[in-house]
Amino acid sequence: MNFFSTNIILVENTLIVILLALSIQIPLRLGVFSFAAIGYYAIGAYSSAILMLEFGWGSWEAMFVATVFATVVAYLLGLVLARLTGLYLGMATIAFDLILVVIVLNGGSLTGGPVGIFGVLGSIELWHLAAAVIIVLALLTLTERGKLARRFDAVREDPQLASSMGIDVVSYRRLSFLISGALGGLAGAFAINLRTTISPESIGFGLVVLGLTVIIVGGQASWVGAVIGACIFVWLPKLLDFVGDWEEIIYGMVVVLAAIFIPGGIVGLFLEAKHRRQSKRNRSVVEQVSALLAGEDEHESRSAAVNEGAISDR
Amino acid sequence: MIQDLLNALTLGSIYLLFALGMALVWGTIGILNFAHGSIFMFATFISYLIAERIVLPLPVILVIAAAVGAILSVAVQVLAFQPIMRRAKNQHSAELQILIGGIGIAAVPIAIAQRATLSNPFGLGNSSFQVQIYEIGDVRVSNIMIMILFAGLVLGGGLAWWIKVSRQGLALRAIGVNDEVASIMGINKQRLALATMALGGALAGLAGALLTVYLSAITPESGDALLIKAFAAIVLGGLGSIAGVIAGSLVLALSETLVLTHTSGTWVNAVSFGLIFLILVVRPQGIFGRKNVVRT
Amino acid sequence: MTGKTQAVLEVNNIAVHYGGIKAVNGISFSLEPGRISGILGPNGSGKTTLLGALTRMVSLTSGSLVFLGQDYSKVPARKILSLGIARTFQTVRVLPDRTVLDNILLGTDALSSSRAGNVKENVRQAIERTGLEGFEQVRPGELSYGVQRRVEIARAIAAQPSLLLLDEPTAGMNQHERQEIGTLLRKLSEEGLTQLLIEHDVQMMLDTCDKLFAMNFGVLIAEGTPESVVQSIAVQESYLGKRAQQNA
Repeated sequence: MNFFSTNIILVENTLIVILLALSIQIPLRLGVFSFAAIGYYAIGAYSSAILMLEFGWGSWEAMFVATVFATVVAYLLGLVLARLTGLYLGMATIAFDLILVVIVLNGGSLTGGPVGIFGVLGSIELWHLAAAVIIVLALLTLTERGKLARRFDAVREDPQLASSMGIDVVSYRRLSFLISGALGGLAGAFAINLRTTISPESIGFGLVVLGLTVIIVGGQASWVGAVIGACIFVWLPKLLDFVGDWEEIIYGMVVVLAAIFIPGGIVGLFLEAKHRRQSKRNRSVVEQVSALLAGEDEHESRSAAVNEGAISDR
Repeated sequence: MIQDLLNALTLGSIYLLFALGMALVWGTIGILNFAHGSIFMFATFISYLIAERIVLPLPVILVIAAAVGAILSVAVQVLAFQPIMRRAKNQHSAELQILIGGIGIAAVPIAIAQRATLSNPFGLGNSSFQVQIYEIGDVRVSNIMIMILFAGLVLGGGLAWWIKVSRQGLALRAIGVNDEVASIMGINKQRLALATMALGGALAGLAGALLTVYLSAITPESGDALLIKAFAAIVLGGLGSIAGVIAGSLVLALSETLVLTHTSGTWVNAVSFGLIFLILVVRPQGIFGRKNVVRT
Repeated sequence: MTGKTQAVLEVNNIAVHYGGIKAVNGISFSLEPGRISGILGPNGSGKTTLLGALTRMVSLTSGSLVFLGQDYSKVPARKILSLGIARTFQTVRVLPDRTVLDNILLGTDALSSSRAGNVKENVRQAIERTGLEGFEQVRPGELSYGVQRRVEIARAIAAQPSLLLLDEPTAGMNQHERQEIGTLLRKLSEEGLTQLLIEHDVQMMLDTCDKLFAMNFGVLIAEGTPESVVQSIAVQESYLGKRAQQNA
């Protein structure tokens, strides 16, 4: 309990960063290089703040409208950028994020200009955020099993193949913008409610960098990666208190090393380890079945393979 | 008006020198180097450290900056980008990794410079060079402006010409079009990639030193701001075309100057962001780019 | 022999023109049920574009495509699998990080439930018919190219298609693997699957196909039994490039 209360801000941050990271991760899982999540976060946060301060709305109504707004913007963005892929799409979405920063800087009293908005007191509490995150993770788990997982992989790795397999690639890409918008907007709405302030600095390129590094260190393949990455990057500075000034440098080094050596992130490492264990079991089977195909004693090879446990008696 | 034009052209020349380095690397070996801005700044920073101790003539400082820039770029290529490309499973993931790797690398020099300068601006004032301003009519031109314009013109134009006529230039273009065929024809992609990175880094270092003298100081964060503007210039002009980078840099500088003189300074950055977005939506290949450059 | 049997596929005077190139310039043919037909042609003959047209990845400039009596000339590419048309690609396209089983299941994922039928059973049969028992949990990347091709074929037939289109199925394979694939295709044909192959390897076509079409310059220049087509001078000349000027 004591740990909790002294670290409540870090726990809040972790949960918010998880949502933000997922907002970036979902499009990446579908091969969509969109980094517009930060923009959706900005929309979610600023819209909530404005609705609550300027128009006296309650937390929940403001959060709902702000998130819907972010989702709509995301969908429209997806339509506008539909023809772009790869780095070009990435740059266009980063440009979108940065344009929002400039808009917010020039928003006068509505957005608070360079200072931002502060004093937004909401009625939303940490456990609401935690519940929301848990629900999101549960829903995402559905996309990481079975049919949906296969389709995601196909859309990401080989869209033409996916199309020939009957998958509506365009719809999936549009969906990725929708989900990204909802998650990013939600993250921003929660952020303003729990932290009470928002400023142009907190939605700038630094946030893009945070999101990307969380995903690459944690892993792109699953929400587990977003959680691991968020925990690392929110808690690391505290653990490395003694490091102090060198924090930025260590940060940068971790990112570079991850990009070079563990491109799949920590989740990727676990998946590879699991695969390697399966491979060892497979190898003897592959040899035996290859011998089978080359025309050797069918009965012997097959029953041996069944005994190895590699072929189930389906 | 002419003053504005002159200022814009000077700014455009700086953009050009910086963007050329990025464009060369991106257009030929397909690497989007997010550390380019950091290198721009750090090469200047090292020059500043040296210049603080010894009074040097400006040309020497420029050479130092260019050399440091080249070395840093090559180091980044060898230590980070090459390993990434070696291990990458496909182009898709390699691009993302290089992007993020570049971002990570960029943080390091910036942090070092921030610590050393306590985030204060630093300049190259301690040299034997004196900024002199000439007045022609009601137009004020400084000697540094002339140097920048000259550098932009000569290097920009010269590079464009060289790529068109030289064998190495042809090799670079070949890699950009189809690197498998290029390697069959005996072009050593690795060596050419290093040379290109070195050239890009040298241009960045040079641009950094020149800009610092022009503005009399830059901050550790200055490089990052330029990064996005370079994208805008390259995307506007069209990837794969040197003429494009030249055109893009000038158009960007002119647009920014226009916005600056007619509105408040806070909208200036929006020009580059807006241009990137607009061009990518309306005409992704840019002004001079080839149609199939936007990879699917 | 054909009599009242409805053709599985009818191609009616189709043309594909783009950017001044007449890749397919008036082609008509039909495919009998259960038969393996092949399209022979040099590079640039338009056969890849033809396959693209049949799989709806490329739009028709004119003409129509009829499958099992239904005109599908305007059906989007992703819907043809549900109609019953499956295909394989020139270079084997599998998901390298997924198991063989997952790859095969991919073929059934997007089917409507009526079309999919008993997925488990279909997949099991597909694995059996292509001789992939034992490889279910292996990643395709760790298998030989020939076996990867089988995975592709298994994926295609798990969807219970009525027509299988194969784009150079034995490209990049050695003699032994080529024969294996040929044998597999003949076996599938005996089980009633209509197939259309595009191939370079003349011997493989002779061994595998019931009927052959020769194509060049966007049109069919010969059709008939494999032997007769291969022996036709027109085909030989195309291959030897004597009329090669128009090749794109």
